[in-house]
Amino acid sequence: MKKFMAMTLTAVIGMAAFTGCGSTGSSGEAGKEGESAAIPVIGISQYGQHASLDNCREGFLKGLEESGLVEGKDFTVDYQNAGFDDNIATQIAQNFSANNVALMCAIATPSATACYAAAEDKNIPVIFTAITDPVKAKLNEGNITGTSDKLPVEAQLELIRSLQPEAKTIGILYTTSEPNSVSAIAEYQEKAPEYGFTIETIGVTQQAEVLQAADSMIAKGVDCISNLTDNTVVGVLPSILEKTNDAKIPVYGSEIEQVKLGCVASAGIDYVALGVQTGAMAAKVLKGEATAEEIPYETITNFDTYINSPALADMGIKVPADMAQKAIEATK
Amino acid sequence: MVFVDLLISTLTQGFIYALLSYGVFITYKILDFPDLTVDGSFPLGAAITGVLMLNGMNPYLVLLVSAAFGAFAGFVTGFIHVRLGVRDLLAGIITMTALFSINLQIAGSNLAIERAVDTIFTAGPTMTLLGSLSLMQRKFIVALIIAVVVKILLDLYLKTKSGLLLRAVGDNSTLVTTLAKDKGTTKILGLVIANALVALCGSVVCQEQRAFASTMGTGQVVFGLATVIIGTTLFRRFHFVKGTTAVLVGSVFYKICIQVAISLGLPANLLKLVMAVLFLAVLILGDKKKGGAEYA
Repeated sequence: MKKFMAMTLTAVIGMAAFTGCGSTGSSGEAGKEGESAAIPVIGISQYGQHASLDNCREGFLKGLEESGLVEGKDFTVDYQNAGFDDNIATQIAQNFSANNVALMCAIATPSATACYAAAEDKNIPVIFTAITDPVKAKLNEGNITGTSDKLPVEAQLELIRSLQPEAKTIGILYTTSEPNSVSAIAEYQEKAPEYGFTIETIGVTQQAEVLQAADSMIAKGVDCISNLTDNTVVGVLPSILEKTNDAKIPVYGSEIEQVKLGCVASAGIDYVALGVQTGAMAAKVLKGEATAEEIPYETITNFDTYINSPALADMGIKVPADMAQKAIEATK
Repeated sequence: MVFVDLLISTLTQGFIYALLSYGVFITYKILDFPDLTVDGSFPLGAAITGVLMLNGMNPYLVLLVSAAFGAFAGFVTGFIHVRLGVRDLLAGIITMTALFSINLQIAGSNLAIERAVDTIFTAGPTMTLLGSLSLMQRKFIVALIIAVVVKILLDLYLKTKSGLLLRAVGDNSTLVTTLAKDKGTTKILGLVIANALVALCGSVVCQEQRAFASTMGTGQVVFGLATVIIGTTLFRRFHFVKGTTAVLVGSVFYKICIQVAISLGLPANLLKLVMAVLFLAVLILGDKKKGGAEYA
């Protein structure tokens, strides 16, 4: 038992030493509590490394700057990445709470859930982004707000219809455990008949199954494939595209990064713009203009059309003139 | 204050996850059974908890119901292994794989529990006793109580006739047969207890985070094995320290390592590397006297 105490004590002291010298700047803040010049810390908890999520973070910081806040003067940032591990997301959020950050920025649902739970005690405001359905995730009430990245399903259906007037079936690959994908598919199935499409879906449970599912999808003879923001599927998108290119089946993306990878087109979200919008909300909270509780969460209403001309040409698809005018070229 | 808060919330995580470590301790260390059911029974406990809590069930009762479902998952793995003759590793994989779909069926999708719903940290009896404390402190004390009570119950059980048989199956299964006992039944019993504990852990985590995610089981068995090995390595030369105590410390230590890695403020992408280095340091220090010769 003595040894047990000694071990715990050593661990505790070790932790004290480490946290004390943490370069987060927040320990400094605590030390300066008496002074008025303490710079507020923004804790950014990003669920994992992912091009779209990185864009969100980049945009978030840009949004703060555009609102007149300067990093280093008006705020400092403690950025943490959970590497897609829920347990680590929990501990990151608790770290922010213990360090009394002025605001938590949570990128993606698991991080937002963790931040919201950790912030409850001290009522620290949480600003989220890249969440499909804040209502379903119960992140719409309390000292929390942010932006949703719900897919523009109708705009996508319209886009596919104008690029492929003859197409009848749209194939969608998704992960059964990703709620965002499941809800997007429900919307696709509801709205597809209006545009004269039927939807074929194949669900997978892990990344290793995606390519097999892509083969079956091609074998089903779908006219095109529409991609969601499904992390598991997007992770192997280049390999899917190799297969679909051979089979001459166009694949539509759901955001700019996917079009850059070789999808033909997308009515999609610009995650940097989403981040900027989120940053502006955070700036309001930091400046004390409004509390997170007062600001309702926002969704993007204007969507851009992204096209990849070489990929379109490969598929023999001609872009209508009016679309060509407003579309943004997204090639690497 | 920063440090105290950080310590409290990190210890809370360690105590909560110790429940999972106890489970893995029973299968891996006592039964010598590499049980992968854990990755499925952990979210099973959370899924059951999410659904029942949203339907207004008493949160304390939810703990017991979740554990019962976990026990059943353990029984299935045991049955597949012992009665159907499937290899231990594979039996766990089969149950874990099936549970992935079953958990999704139970919960429908990922779940979130709003703050209006009371958890074991905010419900009546807890508030009567600890109402004057902050939520963070309450979570700490409730987690500590659960971890210690379960540990004591487990220690007591391992001293009973049934508990001794369990230990014998792992150490010398022939002995069990010569005692005219069925080692298969004992194995199943071990798996039942272990997965009940793992599901209990999932239930507490779900109540603490107010969320269930179907992917939350991924990597839990790795965590469990790491904490059991860290714990038992740390106390290898102190035989008077009970195994359950060792894994409790292992779990706390693991969570402290993560928090230290986060607090170091290194580039975020290096987090797992820092964790790995910390674990290695712990294992080497704990094993210093042996100088690694035993593996040479």
